[in-house]
Amino acid sequence: MRTCLTLLLICAVSGCGSKPEFSHRDEYENLPPYAQAYVDEVLNTYFGTPTDMVVWDKLPLKLHTATGKVTTADNRSITLDINEPHAEISSGTELLLEAGEEAQQISAWIRSWDEESHTATLESALQSKPAEEQSVVVGPGQVLANGRHLYAEHCQHCHGVTGDGNGPTAPYLNPKPRDYRRGIFKFTTTQAPKRASREDLARVIEDGIPGTYMPSFKLLTEDESAALVEYVMWLSLRGELEYQLIRTLSDSYSNDAIKDRTSDGETSRNDIRDEFNAAVNEPDSFRYELDMMTTRLTQDWSSSQEEPAEVRPLTPRIPYSAESVAKGRVLYLNEKNKCLQCHGEAGYGDGSQTFSITKNELNQENPAPGLYDVWGNPIKPRNLHRGIYRGGRRPIDLYSRIYAGIKGTPMPAFSTTTLRKTDPDDPESAITDEDIWHLVNYILSVPFEEVKTGAGADSAKTAELATTPQEVDSH
Amino acid sequence: MKWFWCLFFAFWPIVAIALCWVSPSLGWWFPSEAASPLGRRIDDLFYMILLITSVTFVGTQVALAYALFRGASDTEPEADAKKAWYSHGSHELEVIWSIVPAFVLLFIALYQLDVWAEYRVKDAFPRDKMEAVFESINQKRSETDSLALAEVTARQFEWRIRYPGFNEDGSLKPLMADPQPTDLYAVNDLHLPASAPVMINLRTMDVQHSFFLPDLRIKQDAVPGLVIPIWFEAERQQSYQLLCAELCGWGHYKMNARFVAESDEGFIEYLRQLEREQNEDRVDEVPETDAE
Repeated sequence: MRTCLTLLLICAVSGCGSKPEFSHRDEYENLPPYAQAYVDEVLNTYFGTPTDMVVWDKLPLKLHTATGKVTTADNRSITLDINEPHAEISSGTELLLEAGEEAQQISAWIRSWDEESHTATLESALQSKPAEEQSVVVGPGQVLANGRHLYAEHCQHCHGVTGDGNGPTAPYLNPKPRDYRRGIFKFTTTQAPKRASREDLARVIEDGIPGTYMPSFKLLTEDESAALVEYVMWLSLRGELEYQLIRTLSDSYSNDAIKDRTSDGETSRNDIRDEFNAAVNEPDSFRYELDMMTTRLTQDWSSSQEEPAEVRPLTPRIPYSAESVAKGRVLYLNEKNKCLQCHGEAGYGDGSQTFSITKNELNQENPAPGLYDVWGNPIKPRNLHRGIYRGGRRPIDLYSRIYAGIKGTPMPAFSTTTLRKTDPDDPESAITDEDIWHLVNYILSVPFEEVKTGAGADSAKTAELATTPQEVDSH
Repeated sequence: MKWFWCLFFAFWPIVAIALCWVSPSLGWWFPSEAASPLGRRIDDLFYMILLITSVTFVGTQVALAYALFRGASDTEPEADAKKAWYSHGSHELEVIWSIVPAFVLLFIALYQLDVWAEYRVKDAFPRDKMEAVFESINQKRSETDSLALAEVTARQFEWRIRYPGFNEDGSLKPLMADPQPTDLYAVNDLHLPASAPVMINLRTMDVQHSFFLPDLRIKQDAVPGLVIPIWFEAERQQSYQLLCAELCGWGHYKMNARFVAESDEGFIEYLRQLEREQNEDRVDEVPETDAE
């Protein structure tokens, strides 16, 4: 009896039996029911539900095991010219032949796959021989499905079914797990306006983020990690489309907007609903907007995967030396570069901004003094003495943090286009590529700065700007 | 009913022995064959204790079954009127079953001493063999330097590993207690030379964890504030499982990692690769000459 009760209790708490569902953004609640229904319909059509996902070909993702074309074929075996690299093809994988102009699709199942010759032997013979050059999808949507399973196993309890960073274990964590739904990831090696690259996401999965609760998933295979990356990108795209769609609709159709519009007494709520329904069916209204949004998102993500989006220093790293560290220190202390405002003169992450009232994206004041990220969480500037580098400790990682900033946070981008200072003695000249390397060297040196026991704040007295009362440490 | 209880108590020792007998072939025994000499000695200790407990268990069960059998088979007419004999308070018996187990425990305590010493007492560590490894991987060191080749720091929920870096002449530096600018870092992937004893320093960043190499029979708690040296010797060059064996939080199950035992050259090559990755500056034209 007691066992039964315990089992029931466990089920009630963990929600056995209930299907996972995508949650909505808070702004969704501020839409009238007909607008909510429209948002649901759009998301359901293009993304489906967690248990019944839709592969939307327009998205810039690799959701199939492989795609390619038929080179030679008979009824039982087909040789393919497929994209590289592709996930492992096992027996039992579905093979989808997109036959002819009518976009008729014929499914077949692979009995065995020869990786060397790219030849698939089929479970049963096809009725007709596939034509050469015919497009083929191997394992349609298989990567997405695998990603979903792995995500549910490893990620969901923190990042949530929707990728909203609000899973069951999330309330216990600080910093909060990433909310993917803005499509913003902090630690990337892409240019400031770009999204994360697949390599960046894979690196975070593989190495974790030191200093946070994100652990390393080193033992995942390459295919598993790749499937997770695609699934995370899929969730980001879904979340971002929802975000943008709701924002667009909210302009004229949120409950607040409707109240405003009906306040003059001329338009009634029913008029607004009719107007909305008309706009839904009109091809150049919402549908056009939706199309534009998707195209923009697709372009943003796919261009971020290309080489020009990568952060690439103009010069190789300047070797670590006392001289370079000293130059970096001068740059760090230069008022113009504003490092001090957040990270503090001595690099303890206690700059003046951490005590100031700051503003958020919408130019509203944040609830308490200090810095906030775009997700609305209070954040601290890094204490450089800890020697913990969340985004990685490679020179290119630190370079990217300075060059492209940390996305979604107040850490700005110092993108440079010049290699060297035109006048090395002018401290006012713009920051150069070499300067960033000096800063990298300085930052790497901070954890090894000598701090003598009992020295108190004395070690921080590198510049005479300290505002802390000195009496505290005088005895 | 008399016969039922008699058979009931005779049944369990038979089941226990039968199960122990078949379980190795069913994969219910140890995780694998011990992959280190010390691991085999630890297994031997386990078997010794198993033998003692088996004999005790089977003996008591047989005695119990025999007592019941004697009662059940007593068919004399006055058998039902016979009263049980109570031994409670018997000084002699109390002394016997205090002293016998005490001697057994004392025997176990003494018998395992040298295995425990070799595993845990720093002076008994196979220092000579460890030093031979340092020579073979060309580590430049002084007498007082740490014997450890890596520092493993447990953290909710992963293993962070710090290796010493290289000197400019290509030799390996010794591992220092505090992080050094040249140190090399990895996570959830511990590589060390095989076929010789190697030592690591175990620490934890937050709560208590336990460093567990099931194949090598190594298990050591990581305790906040302590640096605990552990040595082990993997006989084969292969990848072993590394787990956390102390319930350390909700993500405890995530703390599985890999321990790769490699040849000495493979180990150095691995460190070189870490060094290359760690000095990545994404400028193609210049080969990896800009090591710190």
